[in-house]
Order: sequence, then structure tokens, then C-alpha cells
Amino acid sequence: MALVDLFVAFCFLLGIGGAFFTAFHPNIMYAAISLIMTLVSVAGLYGALGADFLAAAQLIIYVGGILIVILFAVMMSQDIYKKRFAESARKYILPASASLIIFLGLASLSRKMDWSGSTTPDFEPTARAMGWALVGPYAVPFQYVVVVLLVGLIGAVVIARPAIKNEDEGADS
Amino acid sequence: MSLAELLSGVNQFIGVGVPMFVFSILGAVIVILLFAMPVGGFATYIERKIAADFQERIGPNRVGPIGLLQFFADGIKMFLKEDTISKNADKFIYNFAPSLVMAGSLGAFAAIPFSAYVIGADLNIGIFYAMALGSFVSLGVLLGAWSSENKWSLLGGMRGAAQIVSYEIPLGLAVLSVITISGTMSMHELVSQQAWPSAAAGQGGHFWNIVHNPFMFINFFIYFIAALAECNRVPFDLPEAESELVSGFNTEFSGMRFGLYALAEFADVILFACIATAIFLGGWHVPFYDLRSLDLGLTIGDANLNPLIQTVAMIGVFLAKVSVLIFIVMWIRWTLPRLRVDQLMNLCWKYLIPIAFFNLIGAAVWTWVFEGQSMIQLIGKVMGVL
Repeated sequence: MALVDLFVAFCFLLGIGGAFFTAFHPNIMYAAISLIMTLVSVAGLYGALGADFLAAAQLIIYVGGILIVILFAVMMSQDIYKKRFAESARKYILPASASLIIFLGLASLSRKMDWSGSTTPDFEPTARAMGWALVGPYAVPFQYVVVVLLVGLIGAVVIARPAIKNEDEGADS
Repeated sequence: MSLAELLSGVNQFIGVGVPMFVFSILGAVIVILLFAMPVGGFATYIERKIAADFQERIGPNRVGPIGLLQFFADGIKMFLKEDTISKNADKFIYNFAPSLVMAGSLGAFAAIPFSAYVIGADLNIGIFYAMALGSFVSLGVLLGAWSSENKWSLLGGMRGAAQIVSYEIPLGLAVLSVITISGTMSMHELVSQQAWPSAAAGQGGHFWNIVHNPFMFINFFIYFIAALAECNRVPFDLPEAESELVSGFNTEFSGMRFGLYALAEFADVILFACIATAIFLGGWHVPFYDLRSLDLGLTIGDANLNPLIQTVAMIGVFLAKVSVLIFIVMWIRWTLPRLRVDQLMNLCWKYLIPIAFFNLIGAAVWTWVFEGQSMIQLIGKVMGVL
């Protein structure tokens, strides 16, 4: 199982490195590209843990969807070839403290976790079990998330559509 | 026998403990060198010949018999060309982007079931994996476009990204309805289920998914249109529209870097034709007969040649279907004009996606009402054959 361990270590380093560059690289384009490294390495970690469906979903949703949209937004901005972040120490304070709180929470969670049974189990497909879980015990939370996403979609459309001129009442405000 | 078993057999034969991943890497290299590169190159030759036929001229006919070695000469030309990088280009991303495109389209070939025995990796999430790797293609297009510091490229790249992100939705929905009626994402199992129906218990399947039910029939065309857009093929070739954007996202790329983009585009077309064949057109299955029971009774010594003969027959059937699809793609290319950006988005969001949603629900209801039986099976039941 040494190969899996090596792979996990590689993904771990890639993920941390990518996150570091995302946070500190002055060029916004490189920051976005470093995010690819982190997202792909998380997919690799899922794969190493035997969560095959989750790994592929991570690639489709984050690399194929969200990252493309991020790059798209970056390219739409002005002066994209030399776009730099403003150099100020103040902008690090809020994100750093938020990250620290999340890190402490995760660390305390991992201390409560029972890691004794964490030898690598035999690989078994996860997609079917996940499907049953989503329509069975987790049906209500799943539908809740669906409604939240739907609200988000409709909200985005409402914001994005041009204001309709109401000609009966003259120009709108 | 799967490829993995074959390889471990080879490993035992050699007698030294070569790690499995060495074979995997070797296998990947062999697939790239022996399959994707020549087939991609050969596809350029076929495309030029077909284009010539459509325009009533002869096409390439100088290099080799009837110009067959033309793609070889093109390849040498591309390798020898100067590799230019424009002055203000972002060197790192510029060098890195073409390989991303290539990795995305070649990696997905691992999950393609060419026969019942030849499949790179029969993943439990095969079809999902193939689509996931496809997302690297759009990334490569976008990054290559940005890094070359060229307005034409950038416009082409943004068009490409918007188009690919949009058309991934109808594509995904069409694939999702296939998964709904089959209950599996493994490519091998998806194909196995599409055998010709048989009266014997535990044998046969529900025949090709395209004629599983009326919704699937429409879904095939939705898949096909969306796949054309994903590959940036005419009439969806806005990212490289020659008459507007010079050459779109790959304007600045020269030599083999351009070659990688061009090859990846062809590899993408072949990949989508392979997936369409596997999930809609029954893969290596033919009507009225199950190739898995093909028995010519040929033997060499004690060895039965049946698996070999079956494999050859299955690969032949599979590649024949793929070739027909590729021909249709090229036929469309030399027939239709290009869409405008707003027409492109209208087609996707106002037509394809609603129809695909309707079909998904329809396929699910069909599966529920008829307990997963296909039209062919129902007709067979009515006629009393099954």
C-alpha cells in the first residue's frame, strides 16, 4: 500500500501548494490556475479514499464548471494581462482569521474522530449507495439543497436580465 | 479476460516483478502512439478527402498511394516548423495549455469499451469519468487563449468556454437518461445490456438504447448536437471562426503546439463518437445475434481461438459504427454554415435543455411503467417470441 501513501502525500503537497499560491500570488490569473491544482488534488484524495463518484464529481463541478466561470470572470475584467492584487497587509486580516477559525474547528473535529479503523478498505463502488442515501434517509436535506440552488438560479436570472421598460408609465426609475 | 489480467499474465511470463503502474504507463503511451495519433492524423486525411468530394475536386493525392501518407508528411512538417512564442505571451501557461487539452481528450479513451474484452479500465463510473476528463479540454482552450496575448485568441477562448459550459448541460442530461434506464455507469455493463433480446433466461438485453423508447431516440440527437458543440465542430465552430477571428483560440500557436490542438480536436470527435456508439448505438452489438456466442470452432493445438475471433468481430463492429458517426460529423461540417453567438445560446438554453429535461423525465417514467423493458422487448412479448 506504499504506492497509495505516496499518492496521498503527493496530493496533499499539491493541494497545500496550490492553496498557498492561490492566496499569495500577485497575478490573479496564476492565483486562479493554482486553484486548479488544489481542486484536482482534492479529487485525487477522494480517489485514494475510494470515493470514485465524488472524485469525478469534483472534477466535473469544480474544474469543469466553477473554475471555468472564475477564469471567465477574470477575463471579463479590465486590464487582464497585468491584473495585480492591491498590496496591502490589511486585506489578509479578515480572511486569515476566518481561515484560522475554520482550521481550529476542523482540527478539534479530527481529534474527536476515531481513526483506529482507518486501514484502507477493499474498494467498493459508492455511486449506488450514495443514490439510495439521497432518496432515502437524506431525502429531505437533499430536497432542501435543491430548493436553495433553485432560488439561487432564479435570483441570478432576475439580477442578470435587463430592466424592462414599462412604456405605459413612462421611463422607470 | 480483461486487459489487467492479460498484463498480469505477461508479468508472470517475464518473471520479474514489474510494478503494475509501469504497465499502465506503457499502455497509455502505446494507446497514444498507436491509436490516437495515427487515427487522429488519418482523420485529417479522411476529412480532406471528404471535403474534396463535397466540393468536386480530388484532394490530397501526391504523398503515397491516393495520398494516404499525407498526414505523415503533415506531421513531419509540423514537427519541423519553428515554435514561435509571441513576445508578451505568458510563457508558462502558453507551454502548458496544449498538453492539458491533449490529456483531457486522450485520458477519457481509457473508459471506452472497444469489445467485451478490450477496455482500458472498466470503471464503475466509466461514463462519468469520461465526461469529467472532458472538462480539462475547455480549461486548456481557455488558458491557451488567454496566455497568447492576442485579442482574437481571447475572444475565441471566451466563446469556447461559454459554449462548452452551456452545452455540457444537455449533454449531461442525455447521458443521465441513459444511466436512468440502465441503472449503471460502467461502460462495459452499459454495452452488455444492449444485446439483442433473447428468450433464454438471463441472456440477451434490451437492444440498442437509441430504440429503447421514444425519448431515447430524441435524446440521441440531443447528445449528438451537444457533442458537436463540445468538440467545437461546425456549425458550432465559433471559437475558431476563421472568417471572424483569424483562427480563434489557437491563432498564436505554431508548430507542434498547434498540432496538439488540432489533434486534440480530432481525438475529441473520435471520443464523442465512441461514447455515442457505446451508450446509444449498442457498442459492439449487432441486431439478431449475440457476438459473444460466435463460435467458428477454430483451434490452434489446444487453444480455442474463439475469444480472439469474437474480439476482432466486436472491434470491427464498434469501429464501423464510430466511422459512420465521424463521417456524419464531417458531412455536417462541409454542409452547414456557422451559427451566430445568440443563435448558439438560444439553441442550447431554449430548445435543447427543456427537451432534454422532458426526455429525462419521460425515460424515467417509461422505465417505471414498463419495468425497464425496451420497445423491442415489448413487441417481442406481444408477438410471443420472447
